[in-house]
Amino acid sequence: MSESGGRAPIPGGTQIAASQRQVNTIEQQRQTIQELQTPVIQVWDRILALPIVGSLDTARTQEMNEALLQKIVDTGSEIVILDITGVPVVDTAVAKHLLETVAASRLLGAEVLIVGLSTNTALTLVHLGLDLSGVTTRTTMAKGLELAFARLGLEVIRRSRRRVTVAHEPDDN
Amino acid sequence: MAQVPIIRVGEVLIASVQEDLRDQDALDLQVRLGDALEHTTARGVLIDVSVVETVDSFLGRLLNETATGARLLGAQTVVVGIRPAVAITLVELGLELQGVRTALDTDKGLALLRRLIAREDGHGQSRLR
Repeated sequence: MSESGGRAPIPGGTQIAASQRQVNTIEQQRQTIQELQTPVIQVWDRILALPIVGSLDTARTQEMNEALLQKIVDTGSEIVILDITGVPVVDTAVAKHLLETVAASRLLGAEVLIVGLSTNTALTLVHLGLDLSGVTTRTTMAKGLELAFARLGLEVIRRSRRRVTVAHEPDDN
Repeated sequence: MAQVPIIRVGEVLIASVQEDLRDQDALDLQVRLGDALEHTTARGVLIDVSVVETVDSFLGRLLNETATGARLLGAQTVVVGIRPAVAITLVELGLELQGVRTALDTDKGLALLRRLIAREDGHGQSRLR
């Protein structure tokens, strides 16, 4: 910036404008990612699901926990299914964050099931020597949901093939 | 400050905390709960902390101790109504209250206590963990 004689044209003006645009774009994208990253889904009465995509850092875990706990209170949920299929690497830090979520949810009376563990992840966790004895895990969301139903005393039954004609027949009168 | 009232409903003692607990009040509650368990036939304790906004390490530890103590006196303890912010604080403090059962609200807490007591009596074992 020039200090005297009014506004002299700034030599790098266009560059500054360009980098300002970039900053704006990055900020917008950051916002979008932030909105995308922690959806808490109610999959059934008293069951929530939380698909995690991407890595978990401290800030993200915090936001996720806040959103999740509030949802537990709002919906009166008793089971939370945490799907880590989309988490590329589960290292000590990520595992620690997951355990925080488990502990915080438990304090609100909700049990957390972690699903989507791959063989690699399981072995990594074992090699890291982390204590996961208090956590229930399954390989897929389907198995997790099945377990959640069992915990809540629900049962999924295939409807019989026989068509129920009487009940649904429209009235012709 | 007023004492935390301890209400007896059937086999359950309900301690309904009315405001943020100071250390002394919490200790007092612990003693009176123990007393009540000793002198009644109560089998369960329900501590409602839904109005509590601040929990420090002392109170967290005390809740754990109270639950462990109650178990020695033959009663199950459920803490209900922990607020999300309080839960996050407790976890950050490393106080996960491993020894305490928890529930979202009094209603769910009472249901859990009933199940726990029934399980102790040897009923409905297969349904529960």
